[in-house]
Amino acid sequence: MNVVITGAAGGLGRAMANECGRRGYNMFLTDVNGNGLLSIQRGLERQFGVTVATKACDLTDPDSVDEMLAVIDQNGIRFDMLLNIAGLDFEGGFMERERERVVKIVTLNDAATLRITHAILERRRQGGHFIAVFVSSLASMFPMPLKATYAASKRFLLDFATSLRQELKDQDANVLALCPGGMVTRDDTIEAIAAQGFWGDVTTNPLELVARKTLDRALSGKAIYVPGGLNRVLSFAGKLIPRSLVAAVIHWRWNQTQEKWLKKENCMAR
Amino acid sequence: MNTIVVTGATSGIGLESVRLLAGEGHHILAVGHCQANCEKADRDIKAGLPDTKIEWYAADLMQQREVLRVAGEIKTWLDTHGDGRLYALINNAGCARSWYMTTEDGYEQQFALNYLSGFLLTHELLPYLIAAKGRVIMTSSQSHKGIKVHWNDVMLSRHYNPLTAYKQSKLCDVLFAQGLNDLYRAKGLHAYAVDPGLVNTDIGNKTAGIVDLVWKMRKRHGVSPTVPAKTYHYLCNQASAPTALYYYLCKAQKHSREVTKENAARLFALSERLCGVRYETEAAS
Repeated sequence: MNVVITGAAGGLGRAMANECGRRGYNMFLTDVNGNGLLSIQRGLERQFGVTVATKACDLTDPDSVDEMLAVIDQNGIRFDMLLNIAGLDFEGGFMERERERVVKIVTLNDAATLRITHAILERRRQGGHFIAVFVSSLASMFPMPLKATYAASKRFLLDFATSLRQELKDQDANVLALCPGGMVTRDDTIEAIAAQGFWGDVTTNPLELVARKTLDRALSGKAIYVPGGLNRVLSFAGKLIPRSLVAAVIHWRWNQTQEKWLKKENCMAR
Repeated sequence: MNTIVVTGATSGIGLESVRLLAGEGHHILAVGHCQANCEKADRDIKAGLPDTKIEWYAADLMQQREVLRVAGEIKTWLDTHGDGRLYALINNAGCARSWYMTTEDGYEQQFALNYLSGFLLTHELLPYLIAAKGRVIMTSSQSHKGIKVHWNDVMLSRHYNPLTAYKQSKLCDVLFAQGLNDLYRAKGLHAYAVDPGLVNTDIGNKTAGIVDLVWKMRKRHGVSPTVPAKTYHYLCNQASAPTALYYYLCKAQKHSREVTKENAARLFALSERLCGVRYETEAAS
Protein backbone atom coordinates (compact mmCIF):
# COMPACT_ATOMS: atom_id res chain seq x y z
CA MET A 1 0.00 0.00 0.00
CA ASN A 2 1.47 3.36 -1.08
CA VAL A 3 -0.01 6.36 0.70
CA VAL A 4 0.41 10.09 0.06
CA ILE A 5 -0.05 12.30 3.13
CA THR A 6 -0.14 16.10 2.84
CA GLY A 7 0.48 18.23 5.93
CA ALA A 8 2.42 15.25 7.27
CA ALA A 9 4.61 17.26 9.65
CA GLY A 10 1.63 18.64 11.58
CA GLY A 11 -0.32 17.10 14.46
CA LEU A 12 -3.04 15.20 12.59
CA GLY A 13 -0.67 14.41 9.70
CA ARG A 14 1.83 12.78 12.08
CA ALA A 15 -0.91 10.82 13.83
CA MET A 16 -2.18 9.55 10.46
CA ALA A 17 1.37 8.70 9.39
CA ASN A 18 1.91 6.76 12.63
CA GLU A 19 -1.31 4.85 12.01
CA CYS A 20 -0.23 4.01 8.44
CA GLY A 21 3.20 2.96 9.72
CA ARG A 22 1.62 0.68 12.30
CA ARG A 23 -0.32 -0.96 9.46
CA GLY A 24 2.88 -1.42 7.45
CA TYR A 25 1.98 0.99 4.65
CA ASN A 26 4.72 2.77 2.70
CA MET A 27 4.39 6.51 2.55
CA PHE A 28 5.15 9.59 0.48
CA LEU A 29 4.97 12.57 2.82
CA THR A 30 4.79 16.24 2.00
CA ASP A 31 4.57 19.47 4.00
CA VAL A 32 5.86 23.04 3.73
CA ASN A 33 8.03 22.33 6.78
CA GLY A 34 11.05 20.48 5.38
CA ASN A 35 12.80 19.91 8.73
CA GLY A 36 9.60 18.57 10.25
CA LEU A 37 9.32 16.12 7.32
CA LEU A 38 12.82 14.77 7.99
CA SER A 39 11.98 14.27 11.68
CA ILE A 40 8.75 12.38 11.08
CA GLN A 41 10.37 10.33 8.30
CA ARG A 42 13.16 9.18 10.64
CA GLY A 43 10.67 8.51 13.44
CA LEU A 44 8.45 6.34 11.20
CA GLU A 45 11.38 4.37 9.79
CA ARG A 46 12.72 3.73 13.29
CA GLN A 47 9.36 2.79 14.80
CA PHE A 48 7.88 0.68 12.04
CA GLY A 49 10.62 -0.11 9.51
CA VAL A 50 8.40 1.07 6.65
CA THR A 51 9.65 2.84 3.51
CA VAL A 52 9.08 6.57 3.70
CA ALA A 53 9.85 9.14 1.00
CA THR A 54 9.45 12.88 1.52
CA LYS A 55 9.46 16.07 -0.50
CA ALA A 56 8.88 19.52 0.95
CA CYS A 57 6.26 21.33 -1.09
CA ASP A 58 4.05 24.41 -0.96
CA LEU A 59 0.78 23.03 -2.27
CA THR A 60 -0.50 26.56 -3.00
CA ASP A 61 2.31 27.02 -5.54
CA PRO A 62 1.74 25.13 -8.83
CA ASP A 63 5.49 25.14 -9.64
CA SER A 64 6.34 23.62 -6.28
CA VAL A 65 3.72 20.91 -6.86
CA ASP A 66 5.12 20.23 -10.35
CA GLU A 67 8.59 19.79 -8.84
CA MET A 68 7.22 17.23 -6.41
CA LEU A 69 5.33 15.40 -9.15
CA ALA A 70 8.55 15.26 -11.18
CA VAL A 71 10.24 13.44 -8.29
CA ILE A 72 7.30 11.03 -8.09
CA ASP A 73 7.36 10.37 -11.83
CA GLN A 74 11.15 9.93 -12.01
CA ASN A 75 10.78 7.14 -9.49
CA GLY A 76 7.64 5.77 -11.13
CA ILE A 77 5.73 5.76 -7.84
CA ARG A 78 2.01 4.96 -8.03
CA PHE A 79 -0.47 5.31 -5.18
CA ASP A 80 -3.33 3.50 -3.47
CA MET A 81 -4.36 6.18 -1.00
CA LEU A 82 -4.35 9.95 -0.59
CA LEU A 83 -4.80 11.60 2.81
CA ASN A 84 -5.44 15.34 2.32
CA ILE A 85 -4.49 16.68 5.74
CA ALA A 86 -2.87 20.04 4.92
CA GLY A 87 -5.04 22.97 5.95
CA LEU A 88 -5.01 26.10 8.07
CA ASP A 89 -7.13 28.54 9.98
CA PHE A 90 -6.81 32.03 11.39
CA GLU A 91 -9.54 32.70 13.92
CA GLY A 92 -11.24 36.04 14.28
CA GLY A 93 -13.64 38.42 12.60
CA PHE A 94 -13.43 38.69 8.80
CA MET A 95 -12.53 42.38 8.82
CA GLU A 96 -10.09 41.96 11.71
CA ARG A 97 -7.81 39.72 9.66
CA GLU A 98 -5.43 40.77 6.90
CA ARG A 99 -6.92 40.39 3.42
CA GLU A 100 -4.34 37.98 2.03
CA ARG A 101 -4.35 35.82 5.15
CA VAL A 102 -8.08 35.28 4.77
CA VAL A 103 -7.70 34.44 1.09
CA LYS A 104 -4.90 31.99 1.95
CA ILE A 105 -7.37 29.86 3.94
CA VAL A 106 -9.29 29.11 0.76
CA THR A 107 -6.15 28.90 -1.38
CA LEU A 108 -4.74 26.11 0.79
CA ASN A 109 -7.79 24.33 2.19
CA ASP A 110 -9.65 24.20 -1.14
CA ALA A 111 -7.66 25.19 -4.24
CA ALA A 112 -4.45 23.41 -3.25
CA THR A 113 -6.38 20.33 -2.14
CA LEU A 114 -8.02 20.13 -5.58
CA ARG A 115 -4.61 20.50 -7.25
CA ILE A 116 -2.95 17.66 -5.35
CA THR A 117 -6.03 15.42 -5.52
CA HIS A 118 -6.18 15.75 -9.31
CA ALA A 119 -2.46 15.05 -9.60
CA ILE A 120 -2.49 11.98 -7.35
CA LEU A 121 -5.65 10.53 -8.93
CA GLU A 122 -3.78 10.68 -12.25
CA ARG A 123 -1.07 8.67 -10.55
CA ARG A 124 -3.20 6.02 -8.87
CA ARG A 125 -2.07 2.44 -9.24
CA GLN A 126 -3.72 0.85 -12.25
CA GLY A 127 -6.10 -1.99 -11.50
CA GLY A 128 -6.08 -1.34 -7.75
CA HIS A 129 -8.57 0.03 -5.26
CA PHE A 130 -8.05 3.71 -4.40
CA ILE A 131 -8.96 5.73 -1.33
CA ALA A 132 -9.05 9.51 -0.91
CA VAL A 133 -9.65 11.19 2.44
CA PHE A 134 -10.52 14.86 2.85
CA VAL A 135 -10.25 16.53 6.24
CA SER A 136 -13.39 18.59 6.51
CA SER A 137 -14.57 19.59 9.98
CA LEU A 138 -17.49 19.63 12.36
CA ALA A 139 -17.42 23.32 11.43
CA SER A 140 -18.60 22.38 7.93
CA MET A 141 -22.03 21.55 9.37
CA PHE A 142 -22.81 25.11 10.46
CA PRO A 143 -22.37 28.70 9.37
CA MET A 144 -19.70 29.94 11.78
CA PRO A 145 -19.32 33.65 12.49
CA LEU A 146 -15.71 34.47 13.53
CA LYS A 147 -14.57 31.31 11.76
CA ALA A 148 -16.54 32.23 8.64
CA THR A 149 -13.94 31.55 5.96
CA TYR A 150 -12.63 28.42 7.62
CA ALA A 151 -16.06 26.85 8.10
CA ALA A 152 -17.05 27.67 4.51
CA SER A 153 -13.78 26.24 3.17
CA LYS A 154 -14.50 23.01 5.07
CA ARG A 155 -18.08 22.94 3.71
CA PHE A 156 -16.55 23.08 0.24
CA LEU A 157 -14.47 19.99 1.02
CA LEU A 158 -17.46 18.09 2.42
CA ASP A 159 -19.61 18.75 -0.64
CA PHE A 160 -16.73 18.14 -3.03
CA ALA A 161 -15.86 14.83 -1.36
CA THR A 162 -19.47 13.67 -1.51
CA SER A 163 -19.70 14.46 -5.23
CA LEU A 164 -16.31 13.04 -6.13
CA ARG A 165 -17.22 9.84 -4.31
CA GLN A 166 -20.21 9.44 -6.62
CA GLU A 167 -18.10 10.16 -9.72
CA LEU A 168 -15.48 7.57 -8.77
CA LYS A 169 -17.86 4.91 -7.47
CA ASP A 170 -17.64 2.70 -10.54
CA GLN A 171 -13.88 3.17 -10.80
CA ASP A 172 -13.07 1.10 -7.72
CA ALA A 173 -12.40 4.11 -5.49
CA ASN A 174 -13.81 5.41 -2.22
CA VAL A 175 -13.80 8.99 -0.97
CA LEU A 176 -14.27 9.79 2.72
CA ALA A 177 -14.86 13.16 4.37
CA LEU A 178 -13.58 13.35 7.93
CA CYS A 179 -15.46 15.91 10.07
CA PRO A 180 -13.76 16.07 13.48
CA GLY A 181 -14.39 18.49 16.35
CA GLY A 182 -11.38 20.02 18.05
CA MET A 183 -8.21 17.95 18.30
CA VAL A 184 -5.20 18.60 20.47
CA THR A 185 -2.41 18.90 17.95
CA ARG A 186 -0.25 21.66 19.45
CA ASP A 187 0.41 23.23 22.86
CA ASP A 188 -1.76 26.24 22.06
CA THR A 189 -4.73 24.07 21.11
CA ILE A 190 -4.85 22.87 24.73
CA GLU A 191 -5.49 26.45 25.80
CA ALA A 192 -7.94 27.13 23.00
CA ILE A 193 -9.96 24.09 24.04
CA ALA A 194 -9.72 24.96 27.75
CA ALA A 195 -11.08 28.45 26.92
CA GLN A 196 -14.19 26.83 25.42
CA GLY A 197 -14.86 25.24 28.81
CA PHE A 198 -17.32 22.35 28.96
CA TRP A 199 -18.19 22.39 25.25
CA GLY A 200 -14.52 22.41 24.32
CA ASP A 201 -13.86 19.32 26.42
CA VAL A 202 -16.83 17.30 25.18
CA THR A 203 -16.43 18.06 21.46
CA THR A 204 -12.68 17.35 21.45
CA ASN A 205 -11.68 14.12 19.73
CA PRO A 206 -8.65 12.01 20.68
CA LEU A 207 -6.16 12.31 17.84
CA GLU A 208 -4.97 8.69 17.86
CA LEU A 209 -8.53 7.36 17.79
CA VAL A 210 -9.57 9.64 14.92
CA ALA A 211 -6.53 8.52 12.91
CA ARG A 212 -7.30 4.83 13.38
CA LYS A 213 -11.05 5.03 12.75
CA THR A 214 -10.62 7.29 9.73
CA LEU A 215 -8.56 4.62 8.00
CA ASP A 216 -10.93 1.86 9.14
CA ARG A 217 -13.95 3.70 7.74
CA ALA A 218 -12.29 4.78 4.53
CA LEU A 219 -11.24 1.16 3.90
CA SER A 220 -14.74 -0.14 4.58
CA GLY A 221 -16.28 2.22 2.01
CA LYS A 222 -17.90 4.85 4.25
CA ALA A 223 -18.63 8.35 2.87
CA ILE A 224 -18.39 10.50 5.98
CA TYR A 225 -16.96 10.15 9.48
CA VAL A 226 -17.99 12.45 12.33
CA PRO A 227 -15.97 11.29 15.37
CA GLY A 228 -17.73 11.33 18.75
CA GLY A 229 -21.38 10.71 19.65
CA LEU A 230 -22.08 14.26 20.77
CA ASN A 231 -20.54 15.66 17.60
CA ARG A 232 -22.88 13.46 15.54
CA VAL A 233 -25.84 14.85 17.49
CA LEU A 234 -24.60 18.40 16.93
CA SER A 235 -24.11 17.86 13.22
CA PHE A 236 -27.62 16.41 12.96
CA ALA A 237 -29.05 19.38 14.90
CA GLY A 238 -27.27 21.66 12.41
CA LYS A 239 -29.53 20.23 9.70
CA LEU A 240 -32.78 20.86 11.63
CA ILE A 241 -32.29 24.30 13.15
CA PRO A 242 -32.63 27.36 10.88
CA ARG A 243 -29.15 28.44 9.74
CA SER A 244 -29.57 32.07 10.79
CA LEU A 245 -30.38 30.96 14.35
CA VAL A 246 -27.36 28.62 14.39
CA ALA A 247 -25.20 31.52 13.24
CA ALA A 248 -26.47 33.76 16.05
CA VAL A 249 -25.83 31.15 18.75
CA ILE A 250 -22.36 30.33 17.46
CA HIS A 251 -21.46 34.00 17.15
CA TRP A 252 -22.37 34.53 20.82
CA ARG A 253 -20.33 31.50 21.90
CA TRP A 254 -17.17 32.24 19.89
CA ASN A 255 -17.20 35.83 21.08
CA GLN A 256 -16.96 34.66 24.67
CA THR A 257 -14.34 32.01 23.94
CA GLN A 258 -12.06 34.20 21.87
CA GLU A 259 -12.09 36.97 24.44
CA LYS A 260 -10.81 34.45 26.95
CA TRP A 261 -7.96 32.90 25.07
CA LEU A 262 -6.75 35.53 22.63
CA LYS A 263 -5.82 37.65 25.66
CA LYS A 264 -3.45 35.03 27.02
CA GLU A 265 0.25 35.56 26.38
CA ASN A 266 2.29 32.40 26.32
CA CYS A 267 6.05 31.98 26.41
CA MET A 268 5.80 28.35 25.35
CA ALA A 269 4.48 29.19 21.89
CA ARG A 270 6.74 27.79 19.21
CA MET B 1 34.51 22.32 41.65
CA ASN B 2 32.69 20.02 39.27
CA THR B 3 30.65 20.52 36.15
CA ILE B 4 27.05 19.29 36.27
CA VAL B 5 24.34 19.31 33.56
CA VAL B 6 20.73 19.75 34.71
CA THR B 7 17.71 19.61 32.37
CA GLY B 8 14.32 21.05 33.23
CA ALA B 9 16.37 23.57 35.19
CA THR B 10 14.13 26.63 35.05
CA SER B 11 11.44 25.61 37.53
CA GLY B 12 10.46 23.15 40.23
CA ILE B 13 12.88 20.37 41.19
CA GLY B 14 15.44 21.32 38.55
CA LEU B 15 15.60 24.96 39.62
CA GLU B 16 16.06 24.09 43.31
CA SER B 17 18.72 21.49 42.51
CA VAL B 18 20.61 24.07 40.45
CA ARG B 19 20.35 26.57 43.29
CA LEU B 20 21.67 24.04 45.81
CA LEU B 21 24.51 22.68 43.66
CA ALA B 22 25.56 26.02 42.17
CA GLY B 23 25.49 27.55 45.66
CA GLU B 24 28.19 25.08 46.67
CA GLY B 25 30.41 26.15 43.84
CA HIS B 26 29.61 23.51 41.20
CA HIS B 27 29.61 24.86 37.65
CA ILE B 28 26.13 24.19 36.26
CA LEU B 29 25.16 23.81 32.60
CA ALA B 30 21.42 24.31 32.85
CA VAL B 31 18.92 23.45 30.10
CA GLY B 32 15.48 25.10 29.99
CA HIS B 33 12.59 25.00 27.55
CA CYS B 34 12.85 28.56 26.26
CA GLN B 35 15.07 31.62 26.54
CA ALA B 36 12.56 33.61 28.60
CA ASN B 37 12.35 30.83 31.23
CA CYS B 38 16.15 30.61 31.39
CA GLU B 39 16.53 34.36 31.96
CA LYS B 40 13.87 34.35 34.66
CA ALA B 41 15.48 31.42 36.48
CA ASP B 42 18.92 33.03 36.21
CA ARG B 43 17.65 36.25 37.80
CA ASP B 44 15.90 34.24 40.49
CA ILE B 45 19.06 32.35 41.50
CA LYS B 46 21.48 35.28 41.10
CA ALA B 47 19.28 37.44 43.35
CA GLY B 48 20.26 35.26 46.32
CA LEU B 49 23.56 33.84 45.06
CA PRO B 50 25.23 36.46 42.83
CA ASP B 51 28.54 34.57 42.42
CA THR B 52 27.21 31.27 41.11
CA LYS B 53 28.49 29.88 37.81
CA ILE B 54 25.61 28.83 35.56
CA GLU B 55 25.50 28.57 31.75
CA TRP B 56 21.98 28.52 30.33
CA TYR B 57 20.83 26.63 27.23
CA ALA B 58 17.34 26.82 25.72
CA ALA B 59 16.18 23.61 24.05
CA ASP B 60 12.90 21.83 23.42
CA LEU B 61 14.24 18.43 24.51
CA MET B 62 11.10 16.64 23.35
CA GLN B 63 12.46 16.95 19.79
CA GLN B 64 15.47 14.75 19.05
CA ARG B 65 17.12 17.33 16.82
CA GLU B 66 17.01 19.75 19.74
CA VAL B 67 18.64 17.20 22.07
CA LEU B 68 21.43 16.70 19.54
CA ARG B 69 21.88 20.45 19.02
CA VAL B 70 22.14 21.29 22.72
CA ALA B 71 24.37 18.25 23.33
CA GLY B 72 26.72 19.65 20.69
CA GLU B 73 26.79 23.02 22.43
CA ILE B 74 27.45 21.40 25.82
CA LYS B 75 30.26 19.27 24.37
CA THR B 76 31.85 22.38 22.85
CA TRP B 77 31.70 24.08 26.24
CA LEU B 78 33.21 21.05 28.01
CA ASP B 79 36.03 20.91 25.46
CA THR B 80 36.85 24.60 25.53
CA HIS B 81 36.01 25.78 29.06
CA GLY B 82 35.99 22.55 31.03
CA ASP B 83 38.49 19.72 31.46
CA GLY B 84 36.62 17.31 29.16
CA ARG B 85 34.93 15.73 32.14
CA LEU B 86 31.27 15.85 33.15
CA TYR B 87 30.78 15.01 36.78
CA ALA B 88 27.01 14.54 36.75
CA LEU B 89 24.03 14.62 34.37
CA ILE B 90 20.61 15.20 35.91
CA ASN B 91 17.90 14.20 33.40
CA ASN B 92 15.01 15.97 35.04
CA ALA B 93 13.00 17.63 32.24
CA GLY B 94 9.47 16.25 32.17
CA CYS B 95 5.89 16.99 31.26
CA ALA B 96 2.38 15.72 31.82
CA ARG B 97 -0.23 15.57 29.06
CA SER B 98 -3.94 14.91 29.07
CA TRP B 99 -4.17 13.98 25.37
CA TYR B 100 -2.17 11.85 22.97
CA MET B 101 0.24 14.32 21.41
CA THR B 102 3.33 13.60 19.36
CA THR B 103 6.74 15.21 18.92
CA GLU B 104 8.18 16.16 15.52
CA ASP B 105 9.54 12.62 15.37
CA GLY B 106 5.99 11.29 15.82
CA TYR B 107 6.74 9.96 19.33
CA GLU B 108 4.30 10.26 22.24
CA GLN B 109 5.32 13.38 24.15
CA GLN B 110 5.55 12.07 27.72
CA PHE B 111 7.61 9.06 26.61
CA ALA B 112 9.77 11.31 24.42
CA LEU B 113 10.53 13.99 27.01
CA ASN B 114 10.33 12.21 30.37
CA TYR B 115 12.46 9.28 29.26
CA LEU B 116 13.82 9.17 25.70
CA SER B 117 15.40 12.65 25.71
CA GLY B 118 17.48 11.58 28.72
CA PHE B 119 18.51 8.39 26.97
CA LEU B 120 19.75 10.33 23.94
CA LEU B 121 21.42 13.16 25.90
CA THR B 122 23.24 10.62 28.08
CA HIS B 123 24.46 8.84 24.95
CA GLU B 124 25.86 12.08 23.55
CA LEU B 125 27.63 13.02 26.81
CA LEU B 126 28.74 9.50 27.80
CA PRO B 127 32.49 9.87 27.02
CA TYR B 128 32.63 12.95 29.26
CA LEU B 129 30.73 11.17 32.03
CA ILE B 130 32.98 8.12 31.88
CA ALA B 131 36.08 10.33 31.92
CA ALA B 132 34.86 11.74 35.23
CA LYS B 133 33.58 8.40 36.58
CA GLY B 134 30.42 10.45 36.80
CA ARG B 135 26.84 10.03 37.86
CA VAL B 136 23.58 10.05 35.88
CA ILE B 137 20.39 10.86 37.77
CA MET B 138 16.90 10.31 36.34
CA THR B 139 13.83 11.98 37.80
CA SER B 140 11.46 9.08 38.29
CA SER B 141 8.43 8.82 40.55
CA GLN B 142 6.69 6.52 42.98
CA SER B 143 4.08 6.19 40.23
CA HIS B 144 6.47 3.93 38.26
CA LYS B 145 5.20 1.07 40.41
CA GLY B 146 2.25 -1.15 39.53
CA ILE B 147 2.74 -0.88 35.78
CA LYS B 148 4.58 -2.74 33.02
CA VAL B 149 6.19 -1.44 29.87
CA HIS B 150 3.75 -1.85 26.96
CA TRP B 151 6.35 -3.44 24.71
CA ASN B 152 4.05 -3.89 21.72
CA ASP B 153 2.85 -0.28 21.78
CA VAL B 154 5.30 1.75 23.76
CA MET B 155 3.76 5.02 22.50
CA LEU B 156 0.36 3.77 23.72
CA SER B 157 -1.41 4.88 20.54
CA ARG B 158 -3.98 2.14 21.18
CA HIS B 159 -6.26 2.95 24.15
CA TYR B 160 -4.23 5.98 25.16
CA ASN B 161 -4.43 6.81 28.83
CA PRO B 162 -2.35 9.90 29.69
CA LEU B 163 -1.69 8.83 33.28
CA THR B 164 -0.55 5.38 32.13
CA ALA B 165 1.80 7.05 29.66
CA TYR B 166 3.22 9.20 32.47
CA LYS B 167 3.74 6.23 34.79
CA GLN B 168 5.33 4.14 32.06
CA SER B 169 7.77 6.96 31.24
CA LYS B 170 8.82 7.02 34.90
CA LEU B 171 9.29 3.23 34.93
CA CYS B 172 11.48 3.63 31.83
CA ASP B 173 13.60 6.12 33.79
CA VAL B 174 14.36 3.51 36.45
CA LEU B 175 14.98 0.84 33.81
CA PHE B 176 17.41 3.15 32.01
CA ALA B 177 19.38 3.79 35.22
CA GLN B 178 19.51 0.02 35.75
CA GLY B 179 20.67 -0.50 32.16
CA LEU B 180 23.41 2.11 32.48
CA ASN B 181 24.68 0.46 35.67
CA ASP B 182 24.68 -2.95 33.99
CA LEU B 183 26.77 -1.63 31.11
CA TYR B 184 29.06 0.95 32.69
CA ARG B 185 29.42 0.35 36.43
CA ALA B 186 32.69 -1.42 35.64
CA LYS B 187 33.93 1.84 34.13
CA GLY B 188 33.06 3.79 37.25
CA LEU B 189 29.74 5.27 36.09
CA HIS B 190 26.84 5.30 38.56
CA ALA B 191 23.22 5.83 37.54
CA TYR B 192 20.30 6.55 39.85
CA ALA B 193 16.58 7.12 39.72
CA VAL B 194 15.07 9.56 42.20
CA ASP B 195 11.54 9.54 43.56
CA PRO B 196 10.98 13.22 44.37
CA GLY B 197 7.79 12.43 46.27
CA LEU B 198 4.72 14.63 45.94
CA VAL B 199 6.07 18.02 44.96
CA ASN B 200 4.31 21.25 44.22
CA THR B 201 5.75 22.26 40.81
CA ASP B 202 4.46 23.47 37.44
CA ILE B 203 4.02 19.94 36.09
CA GLY B 204 0.50 19.17 34.93
CA ASN B 205 -0.33 22.83 34.36
CA LYS B 206 -0.98 22.15 30.69
CA THR B 207 -3.52 19.42 31.22
CA ALA B 208 -7.30 19.51 31.18
CA GLY B 209 -10.32 17.62 32.46
CA ILE B 210 -9.81 14.61 34.71
CA VAL B 211 -6.03 14.60 34.25
CA ASP B 212 -5.88 18.23 35.42
CA LEU B 213 -7.91 17.23 38.48
CA VAL B 214 -5.57 14.33 39.27
CA TRP B 215 -2.50 16.56 39.04
CA LYS B 216 -4.10 19.27 41.19
CA MET B 217 -4.98 16.68 43.87
CA ARG B 218 -1.50 15.17 43.70
CA LYS B 219 0.15 18.54 44.10
CA ARG B 220 -2.15 19.90 46.81
CA HIS B 221 -0.32 17.99 49.52
CA GLY B 222 3.01 18.37 47.73
CA VAL B 223 6.15 19.57 49.44
CA SER B 224 8.39 22.38 48.25
CA PRO B 225 10.80 21.36 45.47
CA THR B 226 13.65 22.23 47.85
CA VAL B 227 12.95 18.88 49.57
CA PRO B 228 13.70 16.54 46.64
CA ALA B 229 16.58 18.84 45.59
CA LYS B 230 18.41 17.53 48.69
CA THR B 231 18.32 13.99 47.29
CA TYR B 232 19.96 15.13 44.03
CA HIS B 233 22.51 17.03 46.08
CA TYR B 234 23.15 13.93 48.21
CA LEU B 235 23.68 11.68 45.18
CA CYS B 236 26.04 14.19 43.56
CA ASN B 237 28.04 15.02 46.66
CA GLN B 238 28.88 11.70 48.34
CA ALA B 239 32.63 11.23 47.85
CA SER B 240 32.12 7.50 47.51
CA ALA B 241 29.24 6.96 45.06
CA PRO B 242 26.10 5.46 46.64
CA THR B 243 25.50 1.99 45.23
CA ALA B 244 21.71 1.52 45.23
CA LEU B 245 19.47 2.35 42.25
CA TYR B 246 16.40 4.14 43.56
CA TYR B 247 16.35 6.94 46.14
CA TYR B 248 13.73 8.88 48.09
CA LEU B 249 14.67 11.53 50.68
CA CYS B 250 18.38 10.64 50.41
CA LYS B 251 17.67 6.98 51.24
CA ALA B 252 17.68 3.88 49.07
CA GLN B 253 14.16 2.55 48.52
CA LYS B 254 12.56 -0.48 46.91
CA HIS B 255 11.66 -0.04 43.28
CA SER B 256 9.17 -1.92 41.09
CA ARG B 257 9.76 -5.63 40.48
CA GLU B 258 9.53 -4.81 36.77
CA VAL B 259 13.03 -3.34 37.03
CA THR B 260 15.10 -6.32 35.92
CA LYS B 261 18.27 -6.74 33.87
CA GLU B 262 16.20 -8.33 31.09
CA ASN B 263 13.69 -5.48 30.88
CA ALA B 264 16.49 -2.92 31.10
CA ALA B 265 18.33 -4.53 28.19
CA ARG B 266 15.13 -4.77 26.16
CA LEU B 267 14.36 -1.08 26.71
CA PHE B 268 17.95 -0.17 25.85
CA ALA B 269 17.70 -1.95 22.49
CA LEU B 270 14.32 -0.37 21.70
CA SER B 271 15.55 3.10 22.66
CA GLU B 272 18.69 2.76 20.55
CA ARG B 273 16.46 2.00 17.58
CA LEU B 274 14.13 4.94 18.33
CA CYS B 275 17.06 7.34 18.67
CA GLY B 276 19.18 5.90 15.86
CA VAL B 277 22.22 5.54 18.14
CA ARG B 278 24.28 2.69 19.57
CA TYR B 279 25.83 2.72 23.04
CA GLU B 280 29.36 1.27 23.13
CA THR B 281 28.97 -2.04 24.90
CA GLU B 282 32.51 -3.40 25.21
CA ALA B 283 32.20 -2.69 28.95
CA ALA B 284 29.45 -5.28 29.21
CA SER B 285 30.58 -8.51 30.72
